[in-house]
Amino acid sequence: MASSTDARRLTLPEIRIGRVLAVLAAVAFWGWLLTRWINDWVLARIGIGPGAGVHFLEAEPFETTAERLAASADAYGPFAGVVDWVGSVVGAVGVAVDIAPVLAVGAWYTIVLTVVSIVLGLLIAVPLSLVRVYGGPFRWLALGYIELIRGTPLLAQLFVLYFGLPFAVWLHGVETIGQGPIPDQAFIIAVVGFTINSSAYQAEYIRGALESVDRGQLTAARSVGLSQLEGLRFVVMPQTLRYAIPAWTNELVYLIKYSSLAAFITVPELYYRASRIASRTFEHTAIYASIAIVYLAIVLTATVLMSRVEREVAIPGLGQAEGRHQGKTEGERE
Amino acid sequence: MTAQRTDERDNERRRAEHEPLLRIENVWKSFGTEQVFRGIDLEVDRGDVEVLVGPSGSGKSTLLRCVNRLTEIDEGAIYLDGERVTDADANVNELRQQVGMVFQDINLFAHLTARENVTLGLRRVRGFGKSEARDRADRELANVGLSDQVDSYPAQLSGGQKQRVGIARALAMDPKLMLFDEPTSALDPELSNSVLEVMERLVEAGMTMLVVTHEMRFARSAADSITFLEGGQVVERGPPERLFERPERERTREFLESIYG
Ligand SMILES: Nc1ncnc2c1ncn2[C@@H]1O[C@H](COP(=O)(O)OP(=O)(O)OP(=O)(O)O)[C@@H](O)[C@H]1O
Ligand SMILES: [Mg+2]
Repeated sequence: MASSTDARRLTLPEIRIGRVLAVLAAVAFWGWLLTRWINDWVLARIGIGPGAGVHFLEAEPFETTAERLAASADAYGPFAGVVDWVGSVVGAVGVAVDIAPVLAVGAWYTIVLTVVSIVLGLLIAVPLSLVRVYGGPFRWLALGYIELIRGTPLLAQLFVLYFGLPFAVWLHGVETIGQGPIPDQAFIIAVVGFTINSSAYQAEYIRGALESVDRGQLTAARSVGLSQLEGLRFVVMPQTLRYAIPAWTNELVYLIKYSSLAAFITVPELYYRASRIASRTFEHTAIYASIAIVYLAIVLTATVLMSRVEREVAIPGLGQAEGRHQGKTEGERE
Repeated sequence: MTAQRTDERDNERRRAEHEPLLRIENVWKSFGTEQVFRGIDLEVDRGDVEVLVGPSGSGKSTLLRCVNRLTEIDEGAIYLDGERVTDADANVNELRQQVGMVFQDINLFAHLTARENVTLGLRRVRGFGKSEARDRADRELANVGLSDQVDSYPAQLSGGQKQRVGIARALAMDPKLMLFDEPTSALDPELSNSVLEVMERLVEAGMTMLVVTHEMRFARSAADSITFLEGGQVVERGPPERLFERPERERTREFLESIYG
């Protein structure tokens, strides 16, 4: 007889079904998104396919079904509420289908904004965290930057960049920006803002990981003749970046969602486009539920990819958190 | 270039005749208000093994770190092969190549295999090519009995194996002098033996060594001389037989009894 613990454990077929469903969902989502982008910006230009922004599916059948269900709900007696609810779900699907092309373009902006900002932010965060920990008298400078950025609201930072500084004027004359997939100046300012903001947070995550690498290893690197900088580059950093992956994934997830603040400086990303449509059509629930699903899909994809990266680069023999100290004694004092 | 090399070698030979390989001269050092050294003098001849003993906190580790300038001295001078290495303008990274160091807490590079632990210095410091460095690393690892473990990561090795990788890593740089800071004290006794064997072979091969250890057997068999450090000074120094059997100072006898029973 199966014990109670066995009963609660997922069986192999169940896990497989879960995986299959997840893979199917991922294929459907990314398949749709990539097809949209290619259709709108490549195929439509050369006259193939339905054309830029034209629906793949018709919203009409969903809308009429929803209307019919709503109209006949009363006839179902005690089930009227359920039928009514099903009707509104079908209606929401209709709305989603209707706004899907716009969401695809918005998702493009959201993803590019996030990816570019987090990568640029990382490039700043690595030296920043090194200065913060090993920078001697410059530590206070790094600390000041980090605390200033982390201590002020992101939205305020974006506003200062957008309204307070003359970036918009500098970028105005450039011809190619703002065309098709190429973003306009508000977008570039948003990238600058998110880069600065996430660099401060990433620097703190990396600092934490940096401090978990035994200082003795840097001493050992110097004892074979590597300079301090080479020791950091070849010994400390490769380990630090591995240990930082879980926290860094958190930052990536935050940034995906916080990128919606770019809407306030008119960047036409997901949230901006959705809120514009919502204020016109008043279909708030359906529209925000739709973008919630898009955000969720992007976030889950990012999480899965990062945990795969983490597994890929894991140091053999070392668990995720244990085993960072090798000897039985404390690390050496510097 | 070649002429210069020969010149250097001549100088080295000339120096070797008059100079001990390592000469520590009137070294003073303090950390804040804590005076760690009050005038340390110590000479280690080429091919000799000097064992350094002393109570905890007497500055044994600090002295080793001063020799390869992981810690800077306040006053005095240290000469390696006749060269004053404690000068502000001496090339520190070059000095460190010539002085190998083995640590109590081993400090292997955790993200690199045993082989990569050895090749890192060869590639980055000595400018070896990839295959050249690899061959050299494999030879060094074979010498410490780790031919089978070249592709293992530190976390997959026992303490004794890790410490032998640490020794191979230092030896690959062709050092003139090896510093050992309690290389076995973090290891279980069974695991210490493999490390001590490697050290004994190194002694036989004529390596000059400055060793902090409380391993009685090693000190008796391998040391040419033992230095007892306390209170920031060399209290007593002499060959192991004399120091163990007939120490001049009462304090030395007390200390040796306290650690060797
Ligand atoms: N970086 C440092 N900053 C401040 N004090 C230090 C530093 N390094 C060593 N000390 C101090 O110098 C003294 C000598 O330390 P050291 O580690 O050299 O002793 P030790 O003889 O190796 O001791 P043990 O046998 O415990 O290893 C100690 O009192 C220690 O607190
Ligand atoms: Mg010590």
